[in-house]
Amino acid sequence: MAATEPSFFVRHEFLIRRLHSLTGIVFGAYVCVHLLTNASILAGSEAFQNNVYRIHGIGAILPVIEWVFIFLPILFHAFVGIAITAGMIPNNQNYPYGANWRYTVQRITGLYLFFFVFYHVFHMHGWFHFDWWLKIAEPWGGAQFKPYNAASTAGLALQNTLVAFLYALGVLAAAFHFFNGIWTAGITWGIWTRPLAQSRALNVCLAGSVVLGCIGLSAIWGARQVGRGEALEAARATEDRMYDFRVEAGLVQADSHKRSEDEESGSGEIAATPVVETRRSSDSGE
Amino acid sequence: MTATAPKRESFDVRILRQSGPGEESRWETFRIPYEPNLNVISVLQKIAATARTAEGTATTPVAWDCNCLEEVCGACTMVINGRVRQSCSALVDKLLAESPGEIELQPMSKFPVVRDLVVDRSRMFRALERVQAWVPVDDYYDRGGGPNVPQELQEQRYPLSECMTCGCCVEACPQYGKVEVHRRPNESQESYEQRQAEAEEGQFLGAAAISQTMLFNDHATGGMIAAERLDALTASGGIQECGNAQNCVAVCPKEIPLTTSIARAGRKTTWHMIKKWFDR
Repeated sequence: MAATEPSFFVRHEFLIRRLHSLTGIVFGAYVCVHLLTNASILAGSEAFQNNVYRIHGIGAILPVIEWVFIFLPILFHAFVGIAITAGMIPNNQNYPYGANWRYTVQRITGLYLFFFVFYHVFHMHGWFHFDWWLKIAEPWGGAQFKPYNAASTAGLALQNTLVAFLYALGVLAAAFHFFNGIWTAGITWGIWTRPLAQSRALNVCLAGSVVLGCIGLSAIWGARQVGRGEALEAARATEDRMYDFRVEAGLVQADSHKRSEDEESGSGEIAATPVVETRRSSDSGE
Repeated sequence: MTATAPKRESFDVRILRQSGPGEESRWETFRIPYEPNLNVISVLQKIAATARTAEGTATTPVAWDCNCLEEVCGACTMVINGRVRQSCSALVDKLLAESPGEIELQPMSKFPVVRDLVVDRSRMFRALERVQAWVPVDDYYDRGGGPNVPQELQEQRYPLSECMTCGCCVEACPQYGKVEVHRRPNESQESYEQRQAEAEEGQFLGAAAISQTMLFNDHATGGMIAAERLDALTASGGIQECGNAQNCVAVCPKEIPLTTSIARAGRKTTWHMIKKWFDR
């Protein structure tokens, strides 16, 4: 209507907001799988390592899956989310209703997760797996997780109390943000429309967030237990045994990127076969 | 009505005042002799009669808007003790029981202030224009009786028709921001309104207009332009701005199921979007 043509973001605001809703669900589903996998560390380092091998067994297509179903959705969701949050005018003091608090907490947890997820992916995954980048990232505390030493490296990375605390906050924020997001998505897409349906859906969603939060916290606790003392030694021994067996059986290719280097890695580095992939991932198994 | 423990002689009313659009606002306190069964309108009448602050200094009478005095017109909507509502139905005895100290009055914060407690709510009505919240009838031919309307649909539509466009829903909405352009010296009313309307383009419609969209899309004749209304809802500033804080439904004085309207509009726009893609 106006003389100037509105910008791309203004013209496609509706579609962008619906995609924001959709990418949140896609990434949230991934987070559920991620935290469930991590919680398998409670069943022992062997069970956890097996799950990580299963994920990494997907092979060369794994980085594609990572980018299409995890990284791109969350990047889109995060930056659109920041733009949405920037426009909020919170008024919880004057209107202290439950839904209004959830509105504000949704945005606060979103902001925390924005920074936390960037930090977390750097801390465990390293963001990128180019050699030159890892040389920079590792001394700065990045890329700590090695998928072929899954339990021990995850456990070691979480020994610092502050780091574990940030992770615990991140897990709780994610659990709330995802399930509250499911509830608002149900309204956005028009799945639950009437008050009774909305309040029932809310109960289910809040229960879901409590369950997911517990799963996440127990995974952190489990990893911290494995990352110290005798448990750490035992986990390393298990991982080495599993690794050697798999290399021998031809189930995995020896790959120094996916192993922790300070440990005996005789077979690993020497046997390194020319691997074409540049970006090795570990995300799903952290 | 209830005689609270000590007998009250008087009470204070703190009012956020502003002498005109774009002027600085300031607080003034007035002392009102207590009598039972006052409402905020009668308090404002008493202030207008004396026009003196609690300290006794002379001031201008406080301006406010009102009309029906029975909570059906929406004109006297203001922020009372931090919460938006109609001042005609805001009873002093109840307000003092909730917060014994004083009563605080502010103009609505999401609309341009005209003077004191009077605001310009025309953005609400421009939002209704954006979604064409009416039944388009452009001739005088006798087309006979309209189609029968099922009881269930009547019951669904009637509450939505109670909307008085008072602005409570958008005042309490954390996604709805104030849009105000200031009148230039010697600017005509038309040009000023035009600039205000342009500034509102792409800004959130608000719950009331979304709900009215559902009201008229469900009308047998009004529904003939349902697609146009859904286009307006999916345009910039449309339903996607909603953040699901659900304050609108909590503060609505007519208890209109606004969040149900919003969710239904969400469903309709979802299908509308898919249809537009595949029915090209």
